[in-house]
Amino acid sequence: MTTTSKKLERKQIMSVFWRSFGLEWDWNYERQMNIGYCYCMLPVIKKLYPDPAQQEAAMKRHLEFFNTTPQLATLILGITAAMEEQNANDPGFDTQSINDVKISLMGPLAGIGDSFIWGTLRIIATGVGLSLATQGNVLGPILFFLIFNIPAQGLRYYLMNAGYKLGSGFLAQLQKSGWMEMLTYGASVLGLIVIGGMTAQNVAINIPLVIGAGEEATTIGDICNQIMPGILPLLFTFAIYYVLKFKNVKTTTLLIVFILIGFIGAYFGILG
Amino acid sequence: MLIQSILLGLVAMLGNAEYLLGTCLLSRPMIMGLFTGIVMGNIEMGVKIGATMELAFMGAFSIGASIPPEMISGTVLGTAFAITTGSGAETALAIGLPVASLVLLAKNFGMVFILPPFVHKADEYASKDNMQGVALVHYLAGFFGVNLIIGLCVGIGYYMGSPAIEAFLSIIPEWISKGLEITMGLLPAIGFGLLMKMIMNKSNICFFILGFGLSVYLNLPGTGIAVFGAIIAIVLTQIKRSQQLQPAMNVEGGIDDDDDF
Repeated sequence: MTTTSKKLERKQIMSVFWRSFGLEWDWNYERQMNIGYCYCMLPVIKKLYPDPAQQEAAMKRHLEFFNTTPQLATLILGITAAMEEQNANDPGFDTQSINDVKISLMGPLAGIGDSFIWGTLRIIATGVGLSLATQGNVLGPILFFLIFNIPAQGLRYYLMNAGYKLGSGFLAQLQKSGWMEMLTYGASVLGLIVIGGMTAQNVAINIPLVIGAGEEATTIGDICNQIMPGILPLLFTFAIYYVLKFKNVKTTTLLIVFILIGFIGAYFGILG
Repeated sequence: MLIQSILLGLVAMLGNAEYLLGTCLLSRPMIMGLFTGIVMGNIEMGVKIGATMELAFMGAFSIGASIPPEMISGTVLGTAFAITTGSGAETALAIGLPVASLVLLAKNFGMVFILPPFVHKADEYASKDNMQGVALVHYLAGFFGVNLIIGLCVGIGYYMGSPAIEAFLSIIPEWISKGLEITMGLLPAIGFGLLMKMIMNKSNICFFILGFGLSVYLNLPGTGIAVFGAIIAIVLTQIKRSQQLQPAMNVEGGIDDDDDF
Protein backbone atom coordinates (compact mmCIF):
# COMPACT_ATOMS: atom_id res chain seq x y z
CA MET A 1 0.00 0.00 0.00
CA THR A 2 1.04 3.55 -0.54
CA THR A 3 1.48 5.81 2.43
CA THR A 4 -2.13 6.15 3.49
CA SER A 5 -2.82 8.88 5.93
CA LYS A 6 -6.60 8.81 5.55
CA LYS A 7 -7.96 5.38 6.16
CA LEU A 8 -11.48 3.99 6.36
CA GLU A 9 -12.25 2.13 9.55
CA ARG A 10 -14.42 -0.87 10.16
CA LYS A 11 -17.09 1.53 11.40
CA GLN A 12 -17.55 3.20 8.02
CA ILE A 13 -17.57 -0.09 6.15
CA MET A 14 -20.28 -1.45 8.43
CA SER A 15 -22.20 1.77 8.07
CA VAL A 16 -22.16 1.43 4.29
CA PHE A 17 -23.31 -2.18 4.70
CA TRP A 18 -26.34 -1.24 6.82
CA ARG A 19 -27.23 1.68 4.61
CA SER A 20 -27.17 -0.59 1.56
CA PHE A 21 -30.41 -2.20 2.78
CA GLY A 22 -32.23 0.92 1.58
CA LEU A 23 -30.68 1.06 -1.89
CA GLU A 24 -34.02 0.64 -3.67
CA TRP A 25 -36.06 2.82 -1.30
CA ASP A 26 -36.20 5.70 -3.75
CA TRP A 27 -35.68 3.79 -6.98
CA ASN A 28 -36.66 6.21 -9.73
CA TYR A 29 -36.97 6.09 -13.47
CA GLU A 30 -34.44 8.81 -14.06
CA ARG A 31 -31.36 7.39 -12.33
CA GLN A 32 -32.72 4.33 -10.51
CA MET A 33 -30.70 3.65 -7.31
CA ASN A 34 -28.74 6.89 -7.42
CA ILE A 35 -29.84 8.58 -4.18
CA GLY A 36 -29.63 5.27 -2.35
CA TYR A 37 -26.06 4.78 -3.54
CA CYS A 38 -25.01 8.28 -2.56
CA TYR A 39 -26.63 7.79 0.84
CA CYS A 40 -24.59 4.60 1.35
CA MET A 41 -21.39 6.43 0.51
CA LEU A 42 -21.97 9.40 2.84
CA PRO A 43 -20.03 7.94 5.83
CA VAL A 44 -17.09 7.24 3.52
CA ILE A 45 -17.18 10.73 2.06
CA LYS A 46 -17.45 12.29 5.49
CA LYS A 47 -14.50 10.32 6.82
CA LEU A 48 -12.18 10.88 3.87
CA TYR A 49 -12.74 14.42 2.71
CA PRO A 50 -12.42 17.37 5.06
CA ASP A 51 -12.67 19.81 2.18
CA PRO A 52 -16.24 20.85 1.22
CA ALA A 53 -15.37 21.01 -2.47
CA GLN A 54 -14.17 17.41 -2.39
CA GLN A 55 -17.26 16.30 -0.49
CA GLU A 56 -19.43 18.00 -3.05
CA ALA A 57 -17.63 16.36 -5.96
CA ALA A 58 -17.86 12.94 -4.32
CA MET A 59 -21.58 13.30 -3.63
CA LYS A 60 -22.25 14.33 -7.22
CA ARG A 61 -20.21 11.37 -8.43
CA HIS A 62 -22.42 8.98 -6.53
CA LEU A 63 -25.69 10.63 -7.54
CA GLU A 64 -25.23 9.38 -11.09
CA PHE A 65 -27.27 6.52 -12.52
CA PHE A 66 -26.82 3.24 -10.70
CA ASN A 67 -28.64 -0.06 -10.88
CA THR A 68 -27.73 -3.61 -10.06
CA THR A 69 -29.04 -6.55 -8.04
CA PRO A 70 -29.54 -4.81 -4.67
CA GLN A 71 -28.30 -7.64 -2.45
CA LEU A 72 -25.00 -7.83 -4.34
CA ALA A 73 -24.44 -4.10 -4.74
CA THR A 74 -22.18 -4.11 -1.69
CA LEU A 75 -19.41 -5.55 -3.88
CA ILE A 76 -19.40 -2.35 -5.93
CA LEU A 77 -19.93 -0.20 -2.84
CA GLY A 78 -16.87 -1.82 -1.25
CA ILE A 79 -14.72 -1.31 -4.33
CA THR A 80 -15.75 2.31 -4.74
CA ALA A 81 -15.19 2.95 -1.02
CA ALA A 82 -11.62 1.69 -1.44
CA MET A 83 -11.19 3.84 -4.54
CA GLU A 84 -12.42 6.91 -2.70
CA GLU A 85 -9.88 6.10 -0.01
CA GLN A 86 -7.07 6.02 -2.56
CA ASN A 87 -8.34 9.21 -4.11
CA ALA A 88 -8.24 10.93 -0.74
CA ASN A 89 -4.57 10.02 -0.33
CA ASP A 90 -3.34 10.43 -3.88
CA PRO A 91 -3.82 13.85 -5.50
CA GLY A 92 -2.98 12.34 -8.89
CA PHE A 93 -5.87 9.89 -8.74
CA ASP A 94 -8.29 10.11 -11.65
CA THR A 95 -11.74 10.37 -10.06
CA GLN A 96 -13.34 9.51 -13.38
CA SER A 97 -12.07 5.97 -12.83
CA ILE A 98 -14.42 5.61 -9.85
CA ASN A 99 -17.49 6.12 -12.00
CA ASP A 100 -16.02 4.10 -14.86
CA VAL A 101 -15.51 1.13 -12.56
CA LYS A 102 -18.98 1.55 -11.06
CA ILE A 103 -20.69 1.61 -14.44
CA SER A 104 -18.71 -1.22 -15.95
CA LEU A 105 -19.38 -3.50 -12.97
CA MET A 106 -23.09 -2.88 -12.42
CA GLY A 107 -24.21 -4.56 -15.66
CA PRO A 108 -22.30 -7.82 -15.30
CA LEU A 109 -23.11 -8.03 -11.59
CA ALA A 110 -26.82 -7.53 -12.31
CA GLY A 111 -26.64 -10.23 -14.96
CA ILE A 112 -25.24 -12.80 -12.57
CA GLY A 113 -27.14 -11.46 -9.56
CA ASP A 114 -30.61 -11.30 -11.11
CA SER A 115 -30.42 -14.86 -12.32
CA PHE A 116 -29.08 -16.13 -9.01
CA ILE A 117 -31.10 -14.03 -6.56
CA TRP A 118 -34.39 -13.69 -8.45
CA GLY A 119 -34.17 -16.63 -10.80
CA THR A 120 -32.85 -19.29 -8.46
CA LEU A 121 -32.95 -18.37 -4.79
CA ARG A 122 -36.37 -16.74 -4.89
CA ILE A 123 -37.85 -19.63 -6.86
CA ILE A 124 -36.49 -22.21 -4.41
CA ALA A 125 -37.80 -20.20 -1.44
CA THR A 126 -41.19 -19.72 -3.11
CA GLY A 127 -41.46 -23.40 -3.93
CA VAL A 128 -40.78 -24.52 -0.37
CA GLY A 129 -42.97 -21.79 1.12
CA LEU A 130 -45.91 -22.43 -1.21
CA SER A 131 -46.07 -26.16 -0.46
CA LEU A 132 -46.90 -25.30 3.16
CA ALA A 133 -48.77 -22.03 2.60
CA THR A 134 -51.37 -23.55 0.27
CA GLN A 135 -52.52 -25.61 3.28
CA GLY A 136 -52.78 -22.50 5.39
CA ASN A 137 -49.64 -23.33 7.38
CA VAL A 138 -47.97 -20.24 8.86
CA LEU A 139 -44.58 -21.91 8.48
CA GLY A 140 -44.95 -21.42 4.71
CA PRO A 141 -44.40 -17.65 4.61
CA ILE A 142 -41.85 -17.85 7.43
CA LEU A 143 -39.71 -20.46 5.67
CA PHE A 144 -40.07 -18.54 2.40
CA PHE A 145 -38.69 -15.46 4.12
CA LEU A 146 -35.80 -17.25 5.81
CA ILE A 147 -34.72 -19.41 2.88
CA PHE A 148 -34.48 -16.33 0.72
CA ASN A 149 -32.96 -13.88 3.15
CA ILE A 150 -30.31 -15.88 4.99
CA PRO A 151 -28.23 -16.52 1.83
CA ALA A 152 -29.16 -13.21 0.15
CA GLN A 153 -28.29 -10.95 3.08
CA GLY A 154 -25.30 -13.15 3.96
CA LEU A 155 -23.96 -12.51 0.48
CA ARG A 156 -24.59 -8.81 0.96
CA TYR A 157 -22.36 -8.88 4.05
CA TYR A 158 -19.66 -11.05 2.50
CA LEU A 159 -19.44 -8.94 -0.66
CA MET A 160 -19.17 -5.71 1.32
CA ASN A 161 -15.92 -6.88 2.88
CA ALA A 162 -14.72 -8.66 -0.24
CA GLY A 163 -15.33 -5.56 -2.32
CA TYR A 164 -13.41 -3.30 0.00
CA LYS A 165 -10.51 -5.74 0.23
CA LEU A 166 -10.46 -6.19 -3.52
CA GLY A 167 -10.54 -2.45 -3.99
CA SER A 168 -7.78 -1.63 -1.56
CA GLY A 169 -5.54 -4.57 -2.45
CA PHE A 170 -5.90 -5.25 -6.14
CA LEU A 171 -6.60 -1.68 -7.24
CA ALA A 172 -3.71 -0.33 -5.18
CA GLN A 173 -1.46 -2.80 -6.98
CA LEU A 174 -2.75 -1.58 -10.33
CA GLN A 175 -2.15 1.98 -9.29
CA LYS A 176 1.41 1.23 -8.29
CA SER A 177 2.30 -0.71 -11.41
CA GLY A 178 0.87 1.93 -13.72
CA TRP A 179 -2.06 -0.21 -14.83
CA MET A 180 -4.67 2.05 -13.25
CA GLU A 181 -4.87 4.22 -16.32
CA MET A 182 -5.43 1.10 -18.39
CA LEU A 183 -8.15 -0.07 -16.05
CA THR A 184 -9.88 3.28 -16.37
CA TYR A 185 -9.70 3.06 -20.12
CA GLY A 186 -11.00 -0.50 -20.21
CA ALA A 187 -13.74 0.30 -17.73
CA SER A 188 -14.93 3.26 -19.78
CA VAL A 189 -15.10 1.08 -22.92
CA LEU A 190 -17.06 -1.63 -21.11
CA GLY A 191 -19.14 0.99 -19.32
CA LEU A 192 -20.23 2.65 -22.54
CA ILE A 193 -21.11 -0.69 -24.15
CA VAL A 194 -23.21 -1.53 -21.09
CA ILE A 195 -24.90 1.89 -21.14
CA GLY A 196 -25.67 1.42 -24.84
CA GLY A 197 -27.33 -1.91 -24.11
CA MET A 198 -29.26 -0.52 -21.17
CA THR A 199 -30.47 2.42 -23.22
CA ALA A 200 -31.91 -0.02 -25.72
CA GLN A 201 -33.61 -1.98 -22.96
CA ASN A 202 -34.91 0.89 -20.83
CA VAL A 203 -35.78 3.89 -22.97
CA ALA A 204 -39.10 3.31 -24.70
CA ILE A 205 -40.81 5.35 -27.40
CA ASN A 206 -43.28 4.16 -29.97
CA ILE A 207 -45.34 6.02 -32.56
CA PRO A 208 -48.44 3.94 -33.21
CA LEU A 209 -49.89 6.38 -35.79
CA VAL A 210 -51.13 4.38 -38.73
CA ILE A 211 -50.34 5.48 -42.25
CA GLY A 212 -51.71 3.93 -45.39
CA ALA A 213 -54.90 1.92 -45.54
CA GLY A 214 -56.00 -1.69 -45.78
CA GLU A 215 -53.21 -4.18 -46.30
CA GLU A 216 -50.68 -1.43 -46.81
CA ALA A 217 -51.40 0.04 -43.39
CA THR A 218 -48.41 0.29 -41.13
CA THR A 219 -47.43 2.41 -38.17
CA ILE A 220 -44.75 5.06 -38.17
CA GLY A 221 -43.09 3.20 -35.31
CA ASP A 222 -42.78 0.08 -37.47
CA ILE A 223 -41.27 2.03 -40.33
CA CYS A 224 -38.71 3.53 -37.97
CA ASN A 225 -37.87 0.11 -36.61
CA GLN A 226 -37.28 -1.15 -40.13
CA ILE A 227 -34.63 1.51 -40.59
CA MET A 228 -33.03 0.37 -37.36
CA PRO A 229 -34.68 -1.38 -34.42
CA GLY A 230 -34.95 1.04 -31.52
CA ILE A 231 -33.92 4.03 -33.61
CA LEU A 232 -36.45 6.28 -31.85
CA PRO A 233 -35.12 5.65 -28.31
CA LEU A 234 -31.58 5.94 -29.67
CA LEU A 235 -32.13 9.32 -31.32
CA PHE A 236 -34.13 10.52 -28.36
CA THR A 237 -31.36 9.60 -25.91
CA PHE A 238 -28.78 11.33 -28.10
CA ALA A 239 -30.98 14.42 -28.18
CA ILE A 240 -31.19 14.43 -24.38
CA TYR A 241 -27.44 13.90 -24.14
CA TYR A 242 -26.94 16.82 -26.51
CA VAL A 243 -29.14 19.27 -24.61
CA LEU A 244 -27.63 18.21 -21.27
CA LYS A 245 -24.07 18.57 -22.49
CA PHE A 246 -24.19 21.57 -24.79
CA LYS A 247 -27.35 23.50 -23.93
CA ASN A 248 -27.13 23.26 -20.15
CA VAL A 249 -30.79 22.38 -19.89
CA LYS A 250 -31.87 21.53 -16.36
CA THR A 251 -33.12 18.04 -15.61
CA THR A 252 -36.24 19.54 -14.00
CA THR A 253 -37.08 21.28 -17.27
CA LEU A 254 -36.68 17.99 -19.10
CA LEU A 255 -38.98 16.29 -16.62
CA ILE A 256 -41.76 18.83 -17.24
CA VAL A 257 -41.31 18.50 -20.99
CA PHE A 258 -41.48 14.69 -20.71
CA ILE A 259 -44.71 14.88 -18.72
CA LEU A 260 -46.25 17.13 -21.35
CA ILE A 261 -45.05 14.86 -24.16
CA GLY A 262 -46.57 11.89 -22.34
CA PHE A 263 -50.04 13.36 -21.84
CA ILE A 264 -50.27 15.12 -25.19
CA GLY A 265 -48.89 12.08 -26.99
CA ALA A 266 -51.39 9.80 -25.28
CA TYR A 267 -54.34 12.15 -25.72
CA PHE A 268 -53.88 12.44 -29.48
CA GLY A 269 -52.64 8.88 -29.88
CA ILE A 270 -49.35 10.04 -31.38
CA LEU A 271 -47.24 8.14 -28.90
CA GLY A 272 -47.93 4.83 -27.26
CA MET B 1 -63.70 -0.76 10.29
CA LEU B 2 -61.67 2.43 10.56
CA ILE B 3 -59.01 0.79 12.68
CA GLN B 4 -58.81 -2.15 10.31
CA SER B 5 -58.45 0.25 7.38
CA ILE B 6 -55.54 1.97 9.08
CA LEU B 7 -53.91 -1.32 10.02
CA LEU B 8 -54.24 -2.65 6.47
CA GLY B 9 -52.69 0.57 5.17
CA LEU B 10 -49.79 0.04 7.53
CA VAL B 11 -49.41 -3.59 6.42
CA ALA B 12 -49.14 -2.37 2.84
CA MET B 13 -46.56 0.22 3.84
CA LEU B 14 -44.58 -2.44 5.65
CA GLY B 15 -44.66 -4.51 2.46
CA ASN B 16 -43.29 -1.65 0.40
CA ALA B 17 -40.71 -0.95 3.11
CA GLU B 18 -38.87 -4.06 1.93
CA TYR B 19 -36.99 -1.58 -0.25
CA LEU B 20 -35.66 -0.03 2.94
CA LEU B 21 -35.00 -3.45 4.43
CA GLY B 22 -32.68 -5.07 1.95
CA THR B 23 -35.28 -5.98 -0.70
CA CYS B 24 -36.17 -8.87 1.59
CA LEU B 25 -39.39 -9.89 -0.22
CA LEU B 26 -41.78 -8.65 2.47
CA SER B 27 -43.96 -7.37 -0.36
CA ARG B 28 -44.58 -10.83 -1.81
CA PRO B 29 -48.20 -12.01 -1.60
CA MET B 30 -47.23 -14.95 0.60
CA ILE B 31 -46.01 -12.59 3.33
CA MET B 32 -48.65 -9.91 2.77
CA GLY B 33 -51.36 -12.59 2.98
CA LEU B 34 -50.05 -13.64 6.38
CA PHE B 35 -50.05 -10.08 7.75
CA THR B 36 -53.48 -9.34 6.29
CA GLY B 37 -54.75 -12.52 7.91
CA ILE B 38 -53.41 -11.36 11.26
CA VAL B 39 -55.17 -7.98 10.93
CA MET B 40 -58.43 -9.58 9.78
CA GLY B 41 -58.32 -12.22 12.50
CA ASN B 42 -58.07 -15.23 10.20
CA ILE B 43 -54.46 -16.24 9.78
CA GLU B 44 -55.06 -19.57 8.09
CA MET B 45 -57.22 -18.04 5.41
CA GLY B 46 -54.80 -15.16 4.93
CA VAL B 47 -51.91 -17.55 4.34
CA LYS B 48 -53.96 -19.69 1.94
CA ILE B 49 -55.12 -16.74 -0.14
CA GLY B 50 -51.62 -15.29 -0.06
CA ALA B 51 -50.33 -18.53 -1.55
CA THR B 52 -52.87 -18.37 -4.38
CA MET B 53 -52.00 -14.75 -5.07
CA GLU B 54 -48.31 -15.65 -5.01
CA LEU B 55 -48.90 -18.10 -7.83
CA ALA B 56 -50.89 -15.48 -9.74
CA PHE B 57 -48.19 -12.83 -9.34
CA MET B 58 -45.27 -15.26 -9.70
CA GLY B 59 -43.94 -13.68 -12.87
CA ALA B 60 -44.33 -10.17 -11.56
CA PHE B 61 -40.97 -9.04 -10.41
CA SER B 62 -39.17 -5.87 -11.23
CA ILE B 63 -35.94 -6.54 -13.04
CA GLY B 64 -34.32 -3.42 -14.40
CA ALA B 65 -36.88 -0.82 -15.25
CA SER B 66 -39.98 -2.92 -15.66
CA ILE B 67 -42.38 -2.46 -12.78
CA PRO B 68 -44.88 -5.20 -11.97
CA PRO B 69 -48.56 -4.51 -11.26
CA GLU B 70 -48.87 -3.18 -7.76
CA MET B 71 -49.24 -6.55 -6.10
CA ILE B 72 -49.04 -5.31 -2.50
CA SER B 73 -52.36 -3.50 -2.65
CA GLY B 74 -53.86 -6.24 -4.79
CA THR B 75 -52.98 -8.88 -2.24
CA VAL B 76 -53.85 -6.93 0.89
CA LEU B 77 -57.24 -5.65 -0.32
CA GLY B 78 -58.11 -8.83 -2.19
CA THR B 79 -57.34 -10.97 0.85
CA ALA B 80 -59.10 -8.61 3.25
CA PHE B 81 -62.33 -8.50 1.20
CA ALA B 82 -62.25 -12.26 0.70
CA ILE B 83 -61.98 -12.82 4.46
CA THR B 84 -64.77 -10.35 5.32
CA THR B 85 -67.16 -11.86 2.78
CA GLY B 86 -66.11 -15.36 3.76
CA SER B 87 -65.36 -16.27 0.16
CA GLY B 88 -62.24 -17.88 -1.22
CA ALA B 89 -59.18 -17.07 -3.22
CA GLU B 90 -61.15 -16.52 -6.45
CA THR B 91 -62.84 -13.48 -4.92
CA ALA B 92 -59.49 -12.24 -3.70
CA LEU B 93 -58.09 -12.47 -7.23
CA ALA B 94 -61.18 -10.95 -8.82
CA ILE B 95 -60.93 -7.95 -6.50
CA GLY B 96 -57.15 -7.92 -6.27
CA LEU B 97 -56.35 -7.53 -9.95
CA PRO B 98 -58.40 -4.36 -10.65
CA VAL B 99 -57.12 -2.88 -7.40
CA ALA B 100 -53.58 -3.68 -8.45
CA SER B 101 -54.02 -1.79 -11.69
CA LEU B 102 -55.63 1.20 -9.99
CA VAL B 103 -52.87 1.46 -7.41
CA LEU B 104 -50.27 0.99 -10.11
CA LEU B 105 -51.71 4.11 -11.68
CA ALA B 106 -51.39 5.99 -8.38
CA LYS B 107 -47.85 4.67 -7.97
CA ASN B 108 -46.94 5.76 -11.49
CA PHE B 109 -48.26 9.18 -10.61
CA GLY B 110 -45.75 9.27 -7.75
CA MET B 111 -43.01 7.97 -10.04
CA VAL B 112 -43.61 10.82 -12.50
CA PHE B 113 -44.67 13.74 -10.32
CA ILE B 114 -43.19 13.19 -6.87
CA LEU B 115 -39.96 11.17 -7.09
CA PRO B 116 -38.12 13.06 -9.86
CA PRO B 117 -38.31 16.46 -8.07
CA PHE B 118 -36.75 14.75 -5.04
CA VAL B 119 -33.96 13.41 -7.26
CA HIS B 120 -33.25 16.95 -8.43
CA LYS B 121 -33.42 18.19 -4.85
CA ALA B 122 -30.66 15.70 -3.97
CA ASP B 123 -28.52 17.16 -6.78
CA GLU B 124 -29.10 20.60 -5.37
CA TYR B 125 -28.10 19.58 -1.84
CA ALA B 126 -24.99 17.84 -3.16
CA SER B 127 -23.87 20.99 -4.94
CA LYS B 128 -24.30 22.90 -1.68
CA ASP B 129 -22.26 20.28 0.18
CA ASN B 130 -25.23 19.40 2.36
CA MET B 131 -24.85 15.77 3.44
CA GLN B 132 -27.78 15.81 5.84
CA GLY B 133 -29.88 17.21 3.03
CA VAL B 134 -29.07 14.29 0.74
CA ALA B 135 -29.76 11.82 3.55
CA LEU B 136 -33.09 13.49 4.30
CA VAL B 137 -34.09 13.45 0.64
CA HIS B 138 -33.30 9.73 0.53
CA TYR B 139 -35.82 8.98 3.27
CA LEU B 140 -38.49 11.47 2.22
CA ALA B 141 -38.38 10.55 -1.47
CA GLY B 142 -39.16 6.89 -0.91
CA PHE B 143 -41.76 7.69 1.74
CA PHE B 144 -43.76 10.30 -0.13
CA GLY B 145 -43.02 9.09 -3.65
CA VAL B 146 -44.16 5.49 -3.19
CA ASN B 147 -44.67 4.19 0.33
CA LEU B 148 -47.36 6.59 1.59
CA ILE B 149 -49.25 6.42 -1.71
CA ILE B 150 -49.62 2.66 -1.43
CA GLY B 151 -50.61 2.87 2.23
CA LEU B 152 -53.26 5.52 1.55
CA CYS B 153 -54.67 3.62 -1.43
CA VAL B 154 -55.05 0.45 0.60
CA GLY B 155 -56.46 2.16 3.70
CA ILE B 156 -58.96 4.31 1.81
CA GLY B 157 -59.73 1.46 -0.59
CA TYR B 158 -60.71 -0.85 2.26
CA TYR B 159 -62.78 1.85 3.90
CA MET B 160 -64.67 2.64 0.69
CA GLY B 161 -65.26 -0.96 -0.36
CA SER B 162 -64.60 -2.76 -3.60
CA PRO B 163 -67.53 -1.41 -5.70
CA ALA B 164 -66.26 2.12 -5.10
CA ILE B 165 -62.80 1.11 -6.29
CA GLU B 166 -64.09 -0.36 -9.52
CA ALA B 167 -66.35 2.63 -10.13
CA PHE B 168 -63.41 4.96 -9.63
CA LEU B 169 -61.23 2.91 -11.96
CA SER B 170 -63.82 3.15 -14.72
CA ILE B 171 -64.01 6.95 -14.72
CA ILE B 172 -60.29 7.56 -15.20
CA PRO B 173 -59.69 8.42 -18.86
CA GLU B 174 -57.25 6.15 -20.62
CA TRP B 175 -54.94 8.94 -21.73
CA ILE B 176 -53.92 9.63 -18.15
CA SER B 177 -52.57 6.16 -17.44
CA LYS B 178 -51.18 5.91 -20.95
CA GLY B 179 -49.52 9.31 -20.64
CA LEU B 180 -47.81 8.34 -17.41
CA GLU B 181 -46.51 5.18 -19.06
CA ILE B 182 -45.10 7.14 -21.98
CA THR B 183 -43.36 9.57 -19.62
CA MET B 184 -41.87 6.68 -17.65
CA GLY B 185 -40.50 5.26 -20.88
CA LEU B 186 -38.75 8.57 -21.59
CA LEU B 187 -37.35 9.29 -18.12
CA PRO B 188 -34.40 6.84 -18.25
CA ALA B 189 -33.00 8.90 -21.14
CA ILE B 190 -32.11 11.62 -18.61
CA GLY B 191 -30.10 9.20 -16.47
CA PHE B 192 -28.27 7.72 -19.46
CA GLY B 193 -27.78 11.18 -20.96
CA LEU B 194 -26.07 12.31 -17.75
CA LEU B 195 -23.81 9.24 -17.76
CA MET B 196 -22.90 9.79 -21.39
CA LYS B 197 -22.16 13.42 -20.67
CA MET B 198 -19.64 12.19 -18.14
CA ILE B 199 -17.77 9.49 -20.03
CA MET B 200 -18.55 9.81 -23.71
CA ASN B 201 -16.47 11.71 -26.26
CA LYS B 202 -15.98 11.61 -30.02
CA SER B 203 -13.45 8.80 -29.87
CA ASN B 204 -15.48 6.38 -27.79
CA ILE B 205 -19.04 7.04 -28.95
CA CYS B 206 -18.78 3.92 -31.11
CA PHE B 207 -18.82 1.73 -27.99
CA PHE B 208 -22.18 3.15 -26.96
CA ILE B 209 -23.59 2.33 -30.40
CA LEU B 210 -22.02 -1.13 -30.17
CA GLY B 211 -23.84 -1.87 -26.91
CA PHE B 212 -27.08 -0.55 -28.35
CA GLY B 213 -26.65 -2.65 -31.50
CA LEU B 214 -25.86 -5.82 -29.56
CA SER B 215 -29.16 -5.35 -27.77
CA VAL B 216 -31.47 -4.41 -30.64
CA TYR B 217 -30.05 -6.60 -33.40
CA LEU B 218 -28.88 -9.66 -31.48
CA ASN B 219 -31.35 -9.33 -28.60
CA LEU B 220 -28.54 -10.05 -26.17
CA PRO B 221 -29.48 -9.74 -22.51
CA GLY B 222 -27.45 -7.54 -20.16
CA THR B 223 -25.03 -10.30 -19.19
CA GLY B 224 -24.32 -11.19 -22.81
CA ILE B 225 -23.56 -7.57 -23.63
CA ALA B 226 -21.29 -7.40 -20.60
CA VAL B 227 -19.37 -10.54 -21.66
CA PHE B 228 -18.65 -9.26 -25.17
CA GLY B 229 -18.02 -5.79 -23.82
CA ALA B 230 -15.50 -7.11 -21.31
CA ILE B 231 -13.61 -9.03 -24.02
CA ILE B 232 -13.44 -5.97 -26.24
CA ALA B 233 -12.33 -3.83 -23.30
CA ILE B 234 -9.59 -6.30 -22.33
CA VAL B 235 -8.24 -6.65 -25.86
CA LEU B 236 -8.19 -2.89 -26.42
CA THR B 237 -6.54 -2.32 -23.06
CA GLN B 238 -3.81 -4.82 -23.90
CA ILE B 239 -3.17 -3.17 -27.25
CA LYS B 240 -3.04 0.24 -25.62
CA ARG B 241 -0.73 -1.04 -22.91
CA SER B 242 1.75 -2.57 -25.35
CA GLN B 243 1.69 0.59 -27.48
CA GLN B 244 2.28 2.62 -24.40
CA LEU B 245 5.19 0.48 -23.21
CA GLN B 246 7.24 0.64 -26.39
CA PRO B 247 7.61 4.38 -26.93
CA ALA B 248 7.25 4.98 -23.22
CA MET B 249 10.76 3.64 -22.67
CA ASN B 250 12.11 7.10 -23.32
CA VAL B 251 9.03 9.17 -22.55
CA GLU B 252 8.85 7.95 -18.91
CA GLY B 253 5.44 7.41 -17.45
CA GLY B 254 3.79 7.94 -20.80
CA ILE B 255 0.56 9.74 -20.07
CA ASP B 256 -0.99 9.79 -23.51
CA ASP B 257 -4.56 9.59 -22.43
CA ASP B 258 -6.76 10.49 -25.32
CA ASP B 259 -4.55 9.42 -28.19
CA ASP B 260 -6.18 6.82 -30.32
CA PHE B 261 -4.64 4.17 -32.40
